[in-house]
Amino acid sequence: MIRFLQLTRTPIEEAALTAGASASAEFGAVIRFSGVVRGREGEAVIRGIRYEAFEAMATHQFQKLFDEMSARWPAVGSVRLVHRLGFVAAGDASLWVEVSAPHRGEAFAACQWLIDSMKQVVPIWKHVEPLEPS
Amino acid sequence: MNIPVHFWSYFRDLAGAAQGEVQVPEGATVETVLNAVYAAHPRLGALRQSTLIAVGVEYQGPSFVLRPGDEVSLFPPVQGG
Repeated sequence: MIRFLQLTRTPIEEAALTAGASASAEFGAVIRFSGVVRGREGEAVIRGIRYEAFEAMATHQFQKLFDEMSARWPAVGSVRLVHRLGFVAAGDASLWVEVSAPHRGEAFAACQWLIDSMKQVVPIWKHVEPLEPS
Repeated sequence: MNIPVHFWSYFRDLAGAAQGEVQVPEGATVETVLNAVYAAHPRLGALRQSTLIAVGVEYQGPSFVLRPGDEVSLFPPVQGG
Protein backbone atom coordinates (compact mmCIF):
# COMPACT_ATOMS: atom_id res chain seq x y z
CA MET A 1 0.00 0.00 0.00
CA ILE A 2 1.31 3.43 -0.96
CA ARG A 3 1.34 5.73 2.04
CA PHE A 4 2.01 9.41 2.50
CA LEU A 5 1.91 11.29 5.81
CA GLN A 6 2.57 14.95 6.43
CA LEU A 7 2.25 16.97 9.63
CA THR A 8 2.49 20.56 8.48
CA ARG A 9 2.38 24.10 9.79
CA THR A 10 1.41 25.51 6.40
CA PRO A 11 -2.06 25.49 4.80
CA ILE A 12 -3.25 22.27 3.18
CA GLU A 13 -3.14 22.77 -0.59
CA GLU A 14 -5.89 20.38 -1.61
CA ALA A 15 -5.68 21.25 -5.31
CA ALA A 16 -1.95 20.48 -5.37
CA LEU A 17 -2.48 17.24 -3.46
CA THR A 18 -5.23 16.17 -5.84
CA ALA A 19 -3.15 17.10 -8.87
CA GLY A 20 -0.30 15.01 -7.47
CA ALA A 21 -2.45 11.90 -7.23
CA SER A 22 -1.38 9.10 -9.49
CA ALA A 23 -4.44 7.89 -11.36
CA SER A 24 -4.73 4.15 -11.61
CA ALA A 25 -7.17 1.95 -13.44
CA GLU A 26 -6.94 -0.42 -10.47
CA PHE A 27 -8.74 1.94 -8.12
CA GLY A 28 -12.39 2.50 -8.87
CA ALA A 29 -12.89 4.45 -5.66
CA VAL A 30 -10.93 7.45 -4.40
CA ILE A 31 -12.33 8.92 -1.18
CA ARG A 32 -11.11 12.39 -0.23
CA PHE A 33 -12.07 13.91 3.12
CA SER A 34 -11.38 17.39 4.44
CA GLY A 35 -11.82 18.21 8.10
CA VAL A 36 -12.52 21.93 8.49
CA VAL A 37 -12.26 24.00 11.67
CA ARG A 38 -15.72 25.09 12.72
CA GLY A 39 -16.28 28.73 13.65
CA ARG A 40 -18.05 27.85 16.85
CA GLU A 41 -17.06 25.89 19.92
CA GLY A 42 -20.28 25.27 21.79
CA GLU A 43 -21.97 28.67 22.00
CA ALA A 44 -18.78 30.66 21.50
CA VAL A 45 -17.60 32.07 18.19
CA ILE A 46 -13.92 31.25 17.81
CA ARG A 47 -11.00 32.57 15.76
CA GLY A 48 -9.62 29.11 15.18
CA ILE A 49 -7.83 26.18 16.78
CA ARG A 50 -4.16 25.72 17.60
CA TYR A 51 -3.08 22.11 17.11
CA GLU A 52 -0.30 20.68 19.28
CA ALA A 53 1.36 17.34 18.60
CA PHE A 54 3.88 15.02 20.14
CA GLU A 55 5.28 14.70 16.64
CA ALA A 56 7.55 11.67 16.94
CA MET A 57 4.79 9.63 18.55
CA ALA A 58 2.11 10.99 16.23
CA THR A 59 4.13 9.90 13.19
CA HIS A 60 4.72 6.46 14.71
CA GLN A 61 1.07 5.98 15.63
CA PHE A 62 -0.10 7.07 12.18
CA GLN A 63 2.23 4.50 10.60
CA LYS A 64 0.84 1.81 12.92
CA LEU A 65 -2.69 2.79 11.86
CA PHE A 66 -1.68 2.56 8.20
CA ASP A 67 -0.28 -0.92 8.92
CA GLU A 68 -3.51 -1.99 10.59
CA MET A 69 -5.64 -0.45 7.85
CA SER A 70 -3.67 -2.38 5.25
CA ALA A 71 -4.20 -5.59 7.21
CA ARG A 72 -7.94 -4.98 7.62
CA TRP A 73 -8.51 -3.86 4.01
CA PRO A 74 -5.77 -5.49 1.90
CA ALA A 75 -7.32 -4.14 -1.29
CA VAL A 76 -6.69 -0.53 -0.28
CA GLY A 77 -3.88 0.58 -2.54
CA SER A 78 -3.08 4.06 -1.30
CA VAL A 79 -3.55 6.33 1.69
CA ARG A 80 -2.46 9.93 1.94
CA LEU A 81 -3.01 12.00 5.08
CA VAL A 82 -2.08 15.58 5.90
CA HIS A 83 -2.69 17.09 9.36
CA ARG A 84 -2.13 20.72 10.23
CA LEU A 85 -0.21 21.77 13.33
CA GLY A 86 -0.12 25.21 14.87
CA PHE A 87 -2.90 27.75 14.38
CA VAL A 88 -5.66 26.94 11.89
CA ALA A 89 -8.27 29.64 11.27
CA ALA A 90 -11.97 28.82 11.37
CA GLY A 91 -13.02 27.74 7.89
CA ASP A 92 -9.61 26.29 6.99
CA ALA A 93 -8.87 22.59 6.67
CA SER A 94 -7.01 20.95 9.54
CA LEU A 95 -7.10 17.45 8.07
CA TRP A 96 -7.03 15.95 4.58
CA VAL A 97 -7.31 12.23 3.93
CA GLU A 98 -7.39 10.28 0.68
CA VAL A 99 -7.99 6.55 0.46
CA SER A 100 -7.94 4.66 -2.86
CA ALA A 101 -9.29 1.16 -3.35
CA PRO A 102 -10.83 -0.96 -6.09
CA HIS A 103 -14.36 -0.50 -4.73
CA ARG A 104 -16.15 2.23 -2.76
CA GLY A 105 -17.22 0.01 0.13
CA GLU A 106 -13.71 -0.70 1.34
CA ALA A 107 -12.53 2.83 0.51
CA PHE A 108 -15.30 4.45 2.59
CA ALA A 109 -14.91 1.94 5.43
CA ALA A 110 -11.13 2.27 5.60
CA CYS A 111 -11.25 6.07 5.48
CA GLN A 112 -13.88 6.23 8.24
CA TRP A 113 -11.95 3.74 10.38
CA LEU A 114 -8.68 5.64 9.92
CA ILE A 115 -10.15 8.98 11.02
CA ASP A 116 -12.02 7.43 13.97
CA SER A 117 -8.88 5.56 15.09
CA MET A 118 -6.69 8.64 14.69
CA LYS A 119 -8.91 10.46 17.16
CA GLN A 120 -8.29 7.68 19.69
CA VAL A 121 -4.53 7.15 19.53
CA VAL A 122 -2.61 9.87 17.66
CA PRO A 123 -1.26 12.39 20.18
CA ILE A 124 -2.58 15.64 18.76
CA TRP A 125 -4.50 18.15 20.90
CA LYS A 126 -6.72 21.11 20.12
CA HIS A 127 -6.45 24.47 21.84
CA VAL A 128 -9.36 26.74 21.02
CA GLU A 129 -8.40 30.34 20.24
CA PRO A 130 -11.29 32.60 21.20
CA LEU A 131 -12.34 35.52 19.06
CA GLU A 132 -10.38 38.53 20.18
CA PRO A 133 -12.50 41.48 21.31
CA SER A 134 -12.77 44.09 18.59
CA MET B 1 18.20 5.83 37.06
CA ASN B 2 16.77 9.18 35.99
CA ILE B 3 13.63 9.02 33.90
CA PRO B 4 12.62 12.17 31.98
CA VAL B 5 8.87 12.84 32.11
CA HIS B 6 7.22 14.94 29.42
CA PHE B 7 3.90 16.71 29.93
CA TRP B 8 1.73 17.50 26.90
CA SER B 9 -1.25 19.77 26.23
CA TYR B 10 -2.80 21.21 29.40
CA PHE B 11 -0.87 18.74 31.54
CA ARG B 12 2.11 21.01 30.88
CA ASP B 13 0.25 23.87 32.60
CA LEU B 14 -0.79 21.67 35.51
CA ALA B 15 2.80 20.47 35.98
CA GLY B 16 4.20 23.98 35.52
CA ALA B 17 6.76 22.68 33.02
CA ALA B 18 7.01 20.73 29.78
CA GLN B 19 9.46 18.27 31.28
CA GLY B 20 10.56 16.94 34.64
CA GLU B 21 12.74 14.10 35.84
CA VAL B 22 12.11 11.35 38.36
CA GLN B 23 14.77 9.22 39.97
CA VAL B 24 13.73 5.58 40.33
CA PRO B 25 15.56 2.37 41.21
CA GLU B 26 16.52 -0.20 38.57
CA GLY B 27 13.54 -2.38 37.69
CA ALA B 28 11.01 0.31 38.58
CA THR B 29 7.73 0.46 36.72
CA VAL B 30 5.81 3.34 35.20
CA GLU B 31 3.68 3.29 38.33
CA THR B 32 6.68 4.38 40.41
CA VAL B 33 7.09 7.38 38.15
CA LEU B 34 3.37 8.15 38.31
CA ASN B 35 3.38 8.09 42.10
CA ALA B 36 6.27 10.56 42.21
CA VAL B 37 4.62 12.84 39.64
CA TYR B 38 1.28 12.80 41.43
CA ALA B 39 2.91 13.51 44.79
CA ALA B 40 4.58 16.57 43.27
CA HIS B 41 1.56 17.65 41.19
CA PRO B 42 -1.70 16.67 42.91
CA ARG B 43 -3.79 18.36 40.20
CA LEU B 44 -2.39 15.83 37.72
CA GLY B 45 -3.19 13.04 40.16
CA ALA B 46 -6.83 14.07 40.09
CA LEU B 47 -6.86 13.29 36.35
CA ARG B 48 -5.18 9.90 36.58
CA GLN B 49 -8.25 7.99 35.35
CA SER B 50 -8.14 9.76 31.98
CA THR B 51 -4.36 10.10 31.68
CA LEU B 52 -2.66 8.47 28.71
CA ILE B 53 0.86 7.13 29.26
CA ALA B 54 3.59 6.55 26.70
CA VAL B 55 7.13 5.28 27.03
CA GLY B 56 9.03 6.56 24.03
CA VAL B 57 6.45 6.53 21.21
CA GLU B 58 4.38 3.56 22.41
CA TYR B 59 1.44 3.50 24.81
CA GLN B 60 2.18 1.59 28.00
CA GLY B 61 0.44 0.81 31.26
CA PRO B 62 1.54 1.38 34.86
CA SER B 63 3.10 -2.09 35.12
CA PHE B 64 5.60 -1.48 32.30
CA VAL B 65 9.17 -2.01 33.57
CA LEU B 66 11.42 0.93 32.75
CA ARG B 67 14.96 0.69 31.47
CA PRO B 68 17.74 3.27 31.43
CA GLY B 69 17.15 5.72 28.59
CA ASP B 70 13.37 5.41 28.68
CA GLU B 71 11.32 8.58 28.60
CA VAL B 72 7.76 8.79 29.90
CA SER B 73 5.07 11.06 28.45
CA LEU B 74 1.82 11.91 30.19
CA PHE B 75 -1.06 13.55 28.40
CA PRO B 76 -4.84 13.95 28.28
CA PRO B 77 -7.10 12.20 25.74
CA VAL B 78 -6.09 13.04 22.19
CA GLN B 79 -8.20 15.21 19.87
CA GLY B 80 -6.79 15.18 16.35
CA GLY B 81 -8.77 16.02 13.26
